[in-house]
Amino acid sequence: MTAEEVVETVKSALGEAVQKGEVNLGDAVIFVAPDSLHKVAQYIKEDAGLKMEYLSDIRGVDYLDQDREPRFEAVYELHSFEHNHSIRIRVGLEQENPTVPTVTDLWNGALFPERELFDMLGFNVTGHPNLKRLIMPEEWEGHPLRKDYPLTTEDVAFSHNRDYKSELVKSKPPTR
Amino acid sequence: MSVTEQGLLEREKDTMTLNMGPSHPSTHGVFQVVLEMDGEIVRSAEPHIGYLHTGIEKTSENKRYVHVIPMTDRLDYLSPPQNNLAFCLTTEKLLQCQVPPRAQYLRVIMCELGRLGSHLVWLATHALDIGAMTVFLYCWREREMILDLNEEISGVRMMTSYIRIGGVMKDATPGWLAKVRKFIDYLPEKIDEYERLLTRNPIWLDRTEGVGVMTKEEAINWSLSGPALRASGVDFDFRKKRPYSGYENFEFDVPVGKNGDVYDRYLMRVEEMRQSRRIIAQALNSLPDGPYKVEDNKISLPERSTLHTSMEALIHHFKLVSEGVSVPKGETYVPTEGPRGEVGFYIVSDGSNVPYRVKLRAPSFMAIPGMCKMMDGSFIADVVAVIGSIDIVMGEVDR
Repeated sequence: MTAEEVVETVKSALGEAVQKGEVNLGDAVIFVAPDSLHKVAQYIKEDAGLKMEYLSDIRGVDYLDQDREPRFEAVYELHSFEHNHSIRIRVGLEQENPTVPTVTDLWNGALFPERELFDMLGFNVTGHPNLKRLIMPEEWEGHPLRKDYPLTTEDVAFSHNRDYKSELVKSKPPTR
Repeated sequence: MSVTEQGLLEREKDTMTLNMGPSHPSTHGVFQVVLEMDGEIVRSAEPHIGYLHTGIEKTSENKRYVHVIPMTDRLDYLSPPQNNLAFCLTTEKLLQCQVPPRAQYLRVIMCELGRLGSHLVWLATHALDIGAMTVFLYCWREREMILDLNEEISGVRMMTSYIRIGGVMKDATPGWLAKVRKFIDYLPEKIDEYERLLTRNPIWLDRTEGVGVMTKEEAINWSLSGPALRASGVDFDFRKKRPYSGYENFEFDVPVGKNGDVYDRYLMRVEEMRQSRRIIAQALNSLPDGPYKVEDNKISLPERSTLHTSMEALIHHFKLVSEGVSVPKGETYVPTEGPRGEVGFYIVSDGSNVPYRVKLRAPSFMAIPGMCKMMDGSFIADVVAVIGSIDIVMGEVDR
C-alpha cells in the first residue's frame, strides 16, 4: 500500500479514534489521543491488510518552545514486512502528568523504549511491567530530554580537596 | 544466605544472583546483565544499561546540523559511515535536496566498507568469546586495511565523518579507488579462510547450533533487526525493499536463515560480507562522473578556488561557515540498513539551523530485551555466545 492508502484505510476503519491523518514527506502519519492509542495500535498490528507487526521505535518529543498544544508527543513508528509499508502514530500528551498507555502487551520490543520515555522525558507509561529509570541512575532528579532541563555541569561526587565545595553552575536555557 | 540458630548456613532461595559486567570482556562495552542462576542454567537475565551515557541526543539539540555529524560517528563506532548516512539522508529529506549520483555511489562504497569492517570486528570478537583465537587475529589484519582506506580518504581511521549534508567531504582520487579494488579482490579468499576455520568446525557447531533460538514471530515481536532478524527467517532488508542512496542500481542477495540460532546469525553476517564486497565491486565499476556534492551553495560549501573570483561564493561561504544550514520546519525519519539492523534518525526541525530534537533508532538498543529473553534457560557459557551473536555496540545503546 502507498502512504495515502494506508492513511485512508486507517481513517475509514477507525473513524473517530484517529484525530487527523496526513502524508508528510511521503510518510503515512496519524494523530491519535492517548486514550485510543492501544485500540488503534492493536488494529493496525492485527488487520490483515495493514499487518504492521513490527515496532520500529518509540520517541518522545517536548515541544516547549514551539507554542503548541499539547506540549509533549510520543511517536510510534511501525513497519509491515509482509506489505512493505509503514505508519507513524503521533500521540499528543498534556503538560501536567503526561500519560500514555503501554503497548508492551502488543510488542515486547516496547519494553526498553517506553522505559526511556519515562526516564528521559518523564512520561508516565501506565501498565508497563517494569517502569523505572533506564539510562540515568535511579536516584537522578529530573528528565534530561525535557526542554526546560537546564544544561549544567554535574556535581562532583567526591574530591581529594577537603576545602572543595561543590556548586552547581546553572546556565541559562540554551539560546539559539 | 542467613545463619540458623544452630549456626548453620541456610539458603534463602534456590537460585544464585550473578553479576555479569559492566566491565566484562565479552559484553563488548559496558553492558551489565544480572543473571539468576540455577546451577549452570540461567533462569532469568535482567539487562542494565546507561554506563556509557554520553548525552549525544541532548547535545545535538544545541549544535548545528553540520556539527552533529561527528557525534553520530561515536554512536555506532564500528561503522560510522552508516550513522552519517542515516543522519544526512533525514536532513536531506527535510531540505528536499537531491544528491548527485557520484556522491551516492561514494556513500555506498564507504557504507559497505564500514559494514565489512564492522562484521570483521564482530567475527573477531565473537569467535574469541567462544574460544577461537586465530580468527580474531586474521579479522583484525583485514580490518586494518579498511582503516587505512578510511584514513586515506577522510584523514581519520575510525571516526570518518566522510558523509556530509548534500554529498561527501571530498572526491575520491583514482589512487584510492584502485586501492579499494585491490582490497576487495584480496578479501574473498580471506572470507573463505575464516569459513574453513569455523563453519564446519565441530567445536564451533557445538557452541552455536541451537543456542539462543528465536522463532520468526518472536524475533519480530522483540524488535530484533538486521542479520538477527533475517537469521530467524524474515526476508527484509531496507537496501532491497526501500532502496536509498542508489542501492536500487546494485545486484546483491539478501541471505535469510531458518533456525534463528547463533549459528544462523553467524552465517548471515559472513554471507553479508560477500554481498558487501559484490556491491563495492559494482559501485567501482560503474562509478559515475560529476560533482561529489550538491551545487546548491546554501547547503554545501563553494569550491575553494572560486572564493577569490566570485563575490557570491564568498558570501555563501561566509553564511554557511558562520550560520550553517537552515532546515525547513517539519519532522521525518528515514530507515537505513546498518550492519546491526535498522538505523535511522527521527529529526524534528523548527526551521532554524539547530535541530530541535534528534532521536536515534539504534538496533542494538532495541535488541537488548530480546537478547536477554534468549538467555532464559540456556547455560551460562551460552550467555557469551548469545551476546556476541546480537553484536551490540554500547555507544548506540546508551547514546
